[in-house]
Parts: sequence; C-alpha cells; structure tokens
Amino acid sequence: MRLIPKPGGKVLLFLLISIGAAMSVLAQDSLRVDSMILSNRSGLENILQGNIAGLRVKNWSGTPGVQSTLNLRGLSLDPTDQSTMPLILINGIPVIASPSNVTGINPLSYFSPEQVDRIEIIKDIDRLAAYGVQAPNGALNIIMKEGQPGSIHVRGSAFAGVNFLQNMDYRKDAFYNFNTRGRREVYGSGAMIHEQNVMVDGAGTYGSYLFGLTNHGDKGIIKNTGFGRQSLFLNATYNITERLSAHFYNNLALANRNGRYAGEYSRDITLPVIADESFFMDKNRNIGLVSSMGLTYQLGSGFKISSVAGLSYEGASRDVYIPSDVLDGNIYASSAAYKRQLITVNTSLNYLRDFSDALQLDMTLGNELRNTDDRLTSVSGQRSMENGGSNYVKVVTGYNANQTDALSDHEKEKLLSFYGIWKWKYKKDLGVNMVLRADGSSLYKNKWAFYPALGVHYELKNSLKIPVTVNASIGRTGVLSRPEVYRGVLDAYGDYYGGNYLGVGQLYPAFGGAKSIGVTQIDAGLSFAILPSLNLSVDYFNKTYRNFTYQRFLPNISGIGYEYETGGALGLSGVEISLDATWVQTKHFTWTGNLNMALYKNKVKELPDDVENTSLAYLGSLSKGTAVTSLIAWEGKQPKVIGNSEPKAFGGLSNTFRYRNISASIILTYAWGANIVAESFSSRYYADRVGNDFPLKSAETPYYLVSADADGRTVYQGIRTVEDGSFLRLSRASVSWHLNSVFKKLAQLSDIEVFARGDNLLTLSKYSGINPEENITGVRRYDLSYTGTPLPSSVALGLKLVF
Amino acid sequence: MKFPKFILLVAMTLLFSCSKTLTIEPENRTVPEGYYNSAQRIQQAVIGGYVDLRRALLTNYAWMMYGEARVGDLNVVVPYQEMVASQELMADNRYLAELSDWGYFYDVIRDANDILDIVAQADDEALSTYQGNLFKGEALALKSMAYFYLARIWGAIPSAEKNDFGKRLSSEEAVTQAALWAAEAKELVPWILTNDDGIESVALTAVRFNKTAVTSLLAQEQLWLGKGQDAYDLLSNAFTAGTADSLSGFGLSNGEDRRTDIPAAPLNGSVVRMSLDRLNAIYPTGDARRASMFNISTSENIATLIIKDASVLELLPQREINLLFAEAAWRSQRLEEAKEYLSSAATGATEDYAALTEDTFGAALLLERQRMLVGTGQRVFDLIRFGEVSSYIPGFTEDDVEKGAAYWPLSASSMKGNALSQNSFWSNP
Repeated sequence: MRLIPKPGGKVLLFLLISIGAAMSVLAQDSLRVDSMILSNRSGLENILQGNIAGLRVKNWSGTPGVQSTLNLRGLSLDPTDQSTMPLILINGIPVIASPSNVTGINPLSYFSPEQVDRIEIIKDIDRLAAYGVQAPNGALNIIMKEGQPGSIHVRGSAFAGVNFLQNMDYRKDAFYNFNTRGRREVYGSGAMIHEQNVMVDGAGTYGSYLFGLTNHGDKGIIKNTGFGRQSLFLNATYNITERLSAHFYNNLALANRNGRYAGEYSRDITLPVIADESFFMDKNRNIGLVSSMGLTYQLGSGFKISSVAGLSYEGASRDVYIPSDVLDGNIYASSAAYKRQLITVNTSLNYLRDFSDALQLDMTLGNELRNTDDRLTSVSGQRSMENGGSNYVKVVTGYNANQTDALSDHEKEKLLSFYGIWKWKYKKDLGVNMVLRADGSSLYKNKWAFYPALGVHYELKNSLKIPVTVNASIGRTGVLSRPEVYRGVLDAYGDYYGGNYLGVGQLYPAFGGAKSIGVTQIDAGLSFAILPSLNLSVDYFNKTYRNFTYQRFLPNISGIGYEYETGGALGLSGVEISLDATWVQTKHFTWTGNLNMALYKNKVKELPDDVENTSLAYLGSLSKGTAVTSLIAWEGKQPKVIGNSEPKAFGGLSNTFRYRNISASIILTYAWGANIVAESFSSRYYADRVGNDFPLKSAETPYYLVSADADGRTVYQGIRTVEDGSFLRLSRASVSWHLNSVFKKLAQLSDIEVFARGDNLLTLSKYSGINPEENITGVRRYDLSYTGTPLPSSVALGLKLVF
Repeated sequence: MKFPKFILLVAMTLLFSCSKTLTIEPENRTVPEGYYNSAQRIQQAVIGGYVDLRRALLTNYAWMMYGEARVGDLNVVVPYQEMVASQELMADNRYLAELSDWGYFYDVIRDANDILDIVAQADDEALSTYQGNLFKGEALALKSMAYFYLARIWGAIPSAEKNDFGKRLSSEEAVTQAALWAAEAKELVPWILTNDDGIESVALTAVRFNKTAVTSLLAQEQLWLGKGQDAYDLLSNAFTAGTADSLSGFGLSNGEDRRTDIPAAPLNGSVVRMSLDRLNAIYPTGDARRASMFNISTSENIATLIIKDASVLELLPQREINLLFAEAAWRSQRLEEAKEYLSSAATGATEDYAALTEDTFGAALLLERQRMLVGTGQRVFDLIRFGEVSSYIPGFTEDDVEKGAAYWPLSASSMKGNALSQNSFWSNP
C-alpha cells in the first residue's frame, strides 16, 4: 500500500528540502501544540519529533504504547538505559515519565495531545540548573490547556484510521529468517487506530475550568495485539480572594497493552511457521495518575508565596502465560506488579522589584522535597507437561525453588533541595540569570551537592541597531547514580546442614564514596532576525560529564570481584541551528517553515588508569577524543572502531501552507552519519570450538564481537555488514479544512474542522532492515534483542468540533 | 541587605540539619551494613564460609581433581578427567581453566576475615561466650584450611591478609601461617557442637569445625612442615583416653548452591569409580576392608565407593587420627609406637606391619593412607609430603618435581592480577 506515488513523492521531497535548506529558524523555547502536526501514535513525545533543534525522538519500536527514545543533549555510558532522558514536567511539576520495566507502557501516552497547550524546552544551563540533579539532560515542561474565557465551551475531536506496513520486503527482512510465510501470519496491515476527545471549559473572574475525557486505541501491526488508553482530566484555577488563588490539575489514565509471543518475544520466526498461540496471554495494565494542587498568595510589595504539591503514581501489572506448544513442552506463568510513586512539594517565595526604570529583579527562593517510592512484586513459575501441566491450565505450581521465583522489592529515595533564582534585567537589553541550587540525596553518604549557574543575555537591537540577541551561560548539574552502586551486596548463595542453615556471604561492602556524576555545561548562542520574517538562531553547547562510577576489577585473591571507583570524563558538544521563516503572508495564503539541525560530537575526555581492569574496559581501545558511542569490534586479534552509533547530524524540516480555510503541513525528520552494525545470523561460534580464531566468511565483514554465554564460554559473533543508518523520513503530514462557512447557520457551532493525517509515510534509507532507528544500541543483534518491532505507517481521517 | 543574609543563614541551618531526614533504612532487602546484629545472623556468615569452601572443593569435582583423580586412583566420569590424569593441566579447556584458578579458595579466606571482623565488632549481648569462641574458631580454621589447600595445590601463593596483601608466600611460609591460625582455632572450638536448642549434636559436629578436626588439620600442617615432634606432642596431648568419646570427623554438608552446578552427591558411584585392576592393586584380595568400602561389579570391571552418609563429604575423617599418630611417631623417631598406631589403624589389612623397618615404614604408611582415605582427595598431597610424586605419577621425573610439576599451573587471571608467572615446570611443560 503506497500513499504517495513514488516519483511524485520524490519530486515533492526534493522541492521541500531545497526550499527548507535555503531558509529557516530560531531555537524554540516553547511550542504551541495547536500549531503542530499531531501524531496518530500515542505518546506526547511523538508530536515533538523534528520540531526542536537538539531533541531527538527515536521511533525505535512499532509496538503501540511504547515510548520513543528521547534525548535532549544527553549522554550516558550505557546506551540501553534511560538516564539520558530529559526531565518531564507537567505544569512545572516533575512526573514519572520513563516506562516501567514490567509493562513497558509509555507514561507519556496517558495524555492526549489535545489536552496540551504548549511544551517548553529547557536546555540552557542557566535555566536548567534550577532543577539540579533532576535535569542533567534538559527538561520538557508540558503546559496543559486551561479554560478559555466564556461560560462554557464544548470541544470534541475524533479520528480513525489504519496502520499499514511498508518496507516489509522479503529481500530485506533477514530478521525473520527470510520466512515470509511466518511473517505474514504475524504482521499485517489494516488494523485500526483511533482516538476520541471531549473537553468542556470556561473561564471568568472566578478563575477557569477545563475537564474532559479521552479514548485512544491502536491495534498496531502485530496481529492479536494492541494498545488502549482512557483518561479523565481536570485543570482548574480558582481565585479564592483577590490575592489568593488555587490551582488543581488531575489526569487519571488507564492503559492496556496485549502482546503475543511470535513477532514480539520471539522474532526468529522459524518454519513451520509458528506454534499455536491459542492459550498465550500477555496482558499489561497500567493506571497512571498525575495530580497537583497549588496555592499562590500575593503578599503585596512585590512578594508572592506559592506552594505546589504534586503526586505522580503509576501502577503497572503484567500477567503472562505461555502454553507448552510454544515453549518446548513447558508451560510458564508469571505475574508482576510494579507501583511507582513520586511526591513533590515545592514552596517558593517570589520577589519582583524595580530598583529604577532601568534595573529590575525577579528573585525566587524556594525548597523542593521529592520522594520516590517504588515497589515491585513478581512471581513466576514453569513446569513441564510430564508433571501435569496442560496448555489451558493457567496455573503453575512449582515444586521447589528451581521452578518458582518470587521477588519483592521496595526502593525509596528522598531528594531535598533548596534553590535561589535571581533574574536581573537592565534596560530591556541585558538580562542576567543567576541560579544556586543545593540537592541533598538519601542515596549517598555525602549528601549534598551544589549546582550554581550564571547566564547573560544581551539584545543588540537598541544599542548597536542590529537585530541580534546573544547569550552565554555556564553552570553545573548532576546525574544520580543507581542504588546498587552505593549500597553493597549481601547475598545468600547456598544452604547447609540439610537445608537448615543459610550461608550468607558479605560479598561487597557499601561504596562510601558514591556520588552523582557532575555535569558542567557551557552555552553560547545568537539569534539573528535576518528579515522580520526570517530568523536564524545558532546555539553552541559543551557539556563535560565527570566522575562516573565504575567497577575496578580486583586480583583473584581478593575474595570479591570488584570494587567501585569514580572517575573518567566524557564530553558532549554541539551546534544547533534553527531557521524560522514566514515565506508568504497574504490575506488568503501563508507559508511558514522551520528547518532545524543539530550537529553533535561526543568524546572520551579521560579514562581511569589501567582501564583494562575496570568495567569500562570496552572503552580501552578508544584514544582521547574518540567518540564514546563508537562501535568497537575485533579484527583478527585487534579491537577496532568500525563506526559510530550516533548520527553526525539530525533534525527536522517542517512546512505549513494555509489557503483560506485549508491548511496543509508536513514534517520531515532526518539523521545523517550513524552506523548500524548488523550481526550475522549464521557466524556465531564458541571460541574454543574454532581454536580461538574467528573464521572469516567471504560474504561478511572481517569484524566480530566477543562475549560470554551464561556458562562463561567465550562466543564469537560475526558481523554481516556495517551499514549507513542515515535516513530521511516523511514523519507526519496533515491536511485540514475549516468548514465554518458551510455551517455558519449553526449558531452554537463556533468551529468545525475536518482533517486527514499520516504518520511515518515514507522513509528513504540504505539500511537493510526495516527501520533505521530500530536498534537501541546501534547494533542489530543476531537475536534481535534491543531491536524494536517494525514501525508501522498510518493514515487517519478526523473531525474537530467546537461549540 | 539583611534579608538575603538571613535566608542564607536559614538555608545553611536547614541543609545541615537535613542529613538525618535524608537517611533511609532499606526495607525487605539485605545490605551489609548493620546486618550482623544477632547470633543467628553471624552464624549465617560462618555458614557462608563453609558454603564457599564447598564451592571451592566441589565445583568441577575439584577436590578429586587435585587429589585421587590426578593419580588415576579414582576416575570421575567427566570429559576433563583424562586430561587431569595425564597431567595435561594447561590444555585449552574451560573446566581445567576453572580448576587452575584459585579464586574460590580466596573467597573462603575473605569470608573468614569478614567473620573475624564481625565477631570482633559484635555487641556483647549478641553472642554468648560459646558462640563467640565457636565462630571465631571456625573462621580461623576455615582460613587455615583454605591456605593449606592453596599451598598444597599451587605451592607458592600470595597472601590475602590485610597486613601483607599480595605478598608472595612460599609454600612453607603459607602453611606456617595456617598452622598458627589452626592452633588458635583449636583452643576455641568445642569437641561437640550444640545445636540451636543448646543440645549437643553429633550430626552438626560432623559438618563444622570441632576440636578433633582442627587438631587433625593442625597435625597435617605440622607434618607438612616436617615438624614430626610438634605433631606428636599435639596429638598426644589432644587425644587421650579422656577425650576418646568426644571425637568426631569433619566433612562438608551437601546442599543447594545456586551459583554453580555443584554435585549434590559428589561421590556417587555413577560418577566416581575405580577400575577393578586398580582396586586389586591397592587392596589385595583378602583385605577385609574391600567389601565394606566398595561395591564391586566384576561385569563392568569397576568398584564404586559405599557411601555411609550421603549428606556429608568427609575431608578429615576420624579414622585418620591413628594414621596421623603413626606418621608423627615415625617422624619423631618412635618407630615402634608408629607401627602400633599403623596396625591399629589398618584393621583388616593383609600385611603384617609389625615387621616394618625405618626404611619400609614410609611406603606402608603411604599405602594405608591411600587405602583408608580414599575419596577425601589427599592422595597427591601425601605423595608430595612423602617425596614420592615421581614414583607414582608416570611421566614426572625427579627433576620435573623439583621444578614444580606436582603443583597445578596458575590460571591466566591468577598471573595477571597478581603479577605472577608459572613455575619453571609449567612455564615450559
């Protein structure tokens, strides 16, 4: 199924790229959602894709309800963890935003984009330092819509469409063992995607209110799976007195996702096709609540006190049952529940003072308390058919510890912070921001860390008569290390004396020197209004991450394998360019566009001494200045850098055309210069079986990766190809028509809009797989772990009504 | 401006008073800090030492591979047995690589040192005097035994003690140190241990260090060091008519360990066996012990050990005491006494040990140790101690033994992490 005829599509793309490249834009601090092209897929992150210079939204998986990878000037040593994710705030309040490990459902899918007014992007250090250790990698502040003046408005919107698969070319999908028949049984086009939203709002002297409900459903492209979300929300302000006002926000969402074995767990679909999955069950259910309550009191003479309590809760549960015909004669059942809660209380005093006509101060002093409390309980068991299991009995009784696993865990963290923000303004030209934040963490022995920042912004328009604004800032933030690092390990490995005694070993002592990773950031940028309708902004940043925690391997007479140390330094720097233009603005026709590009470079700045004896040994072959995201493999007996998993440049290009009541928008995203290492499906050997010499295959590269299996046997994994992961994607396109004139006799109806929208419509790439963004680590593994399911395209038709 | 100063003052006061608020005691999770606060928990640490010793000796049938399997007395039905029996200890095989790594023994030493710290730091109320002495004694004995194994398997080894960590100790230095710990332990552990209800338990005593076991261990160490007189004095003072009813052997209790595939029945006949020819060579027909010690299958041409208690793997059996007496007496120029001990130890033997001379006694004692201690993994150590390696291990010359052939080669990680190199035999085997 092709939506855009191939030749026509290419001409159109060429035209848009040429035009787009010649123009473009400024660094955007705030994006109004109503002016953006929304996405058919759930997840607020998807509507940001391609819109902001430096924000990478990587659509790595086609499974609906899964979060796309978000990265805003973030760098981490572990490419598979979520520590590069920006801090997500709803109305300024931190919320749980990373997917739980149990269900994998994306907390950013608890909201419909229709609820959102705008999204603020915070990436400069003089604003970021105010969030301290919570926001080493930028922050996205999602501001929800509030009630509009008037007693009552009713807004309804809905769309429905279908998912379909492109690029499932049998010559390309080596993934599925070239098994086109098996693939057809599992993947299919034509499943529904739909959403309905209803909102009621109003505002007056009393304040404002907005409430509503949403429903979203997406059946994806893996048959018999799907994702759904329902939510209720409220956003209200109430002016209790002239000085005292209260703000309430509430969003309660239920989300569900059903999975299946073939195509999702097992991607190696072998002949004869797949086993009967009739009794298979994979039910994921989440409940997500974001709630906040704030009070603001105007004291007079420039003072204002406000206090906001926020509560973010997620309950995630998963129930799995795998019948014996799928699992080689065994049946398996598991149930897991993961409950996460985040409570924040932020109290601040704000003081506005005009010292003279020229000098103004906006000062905020405050404190923030952040408590996280996560609980996990899981039970799983497996038994063989011989022991009485059957395909349809969804109960597994384990006989002993080998058959049943039970786990319960409780993790709490407290973060106490004090902060001060001083914003000075001199003659409207010069702005100086000063931030000082102290974060105390329950994670470490040395509790406190200090994060200062200073920024200067200067408009040259008045003094030098040139339409340029320059800014520069410097400051610090930090990254929290995870608990296993500092707590130590005490474990029981064996029993004794007829099982009466437990042998507990004091394995690893707590790491008293544990601390957060320090991030120093320098920003510099300028914004140049070339014409009133054409603005260029260029921003440079440089971040240095210091004091990573890693393991130092000890000699084998130590009785323990390693101890922790901190050290090492990595650098991430980049230039972000954004060009915003209004090309045409006449009474009936407007054409606006944005081109943004981020050129990033990361590098190893310092490695620990004797790095070969640390858990960072894999970086040992990298010299200073080499990218830390380098893909390293062996050639012969030497390690070698064979590529880089991060692109040299990425960004987006958007264009919006409006003619009378009709508007059309498209957004293209691109990334250039990333490599993908595709492991071979056949060249995998035990090192001792091949005499510790990797056997070369003529059709594959001479490179191989070395790992160890569960028994500690060394495994050589051949690499089939090292590929160019560059791509250009028509991410989203929409056409809408306001039909107000047609229905103008209906007095109650103030707006009516019909729209058609497409997601992921076309991808141009040389990559041999399905989606050039599907590999989380830049390596497509032989078993497809860390590789997403195929990314579907979708088209939908929708309607918006406002009464 | 006074206001900001005031704020700063308040902020600083708050900061420094908040450290307590920011301390969270972890729930339903065990962490090392503060865990060992009761006798029961400290005992878990002690048991952890035994569990680690069990792993060191049982993983890959290590105690057999270092012992009887290496000289072919007992065969273990695993693929690497043949390489061990033919002394190809550096062959490219991951089990051999694991066997040549000493890490598990050093785990035991670390456990023991941790226990000593824990006991020293324990609240007075947490441990009774009995418990305090027992746990400390067990820790010292575990440490002594681990070093003794290390020195016997690899010869020169590094110290893992805080005061000289990493220092290379000769085999003699290591065993001298081990003997000091055993001597200390001997004074601390009781003859018979009591169970959690305070009742003396023979079964429990058989799987933890008791006075008999520690005395045997110390005697072995003294004999290894050539101190026959010391061993004789030790044994004579410890084992008297008054203590005869309190004796106990020592072995490892078999059980679950989730780290490795540790055999649950390590001496099971389906895995550990002796060829009939070898049995006949060691125990001539007419030796009364054959029937009580072995199941003999003439059709399969094998003999397997009769396991009296499958829950314990004996390491220092009670029956060794007379053999130790015999060796100590012989080494301290008391041949007649030595012969008496040997004769009373070897009940059922066909030989007449009364006729032994100074020259023939050693061979007879070595043979009886081979017979009586089958399955305990001591054979190669006996050969080293008696200076008979080249006589019993085919292919090894005196010169090879001089260069260190009797010891195991060092694993790659042992050499790399501790800046060591192979001895002159294994560097060019």
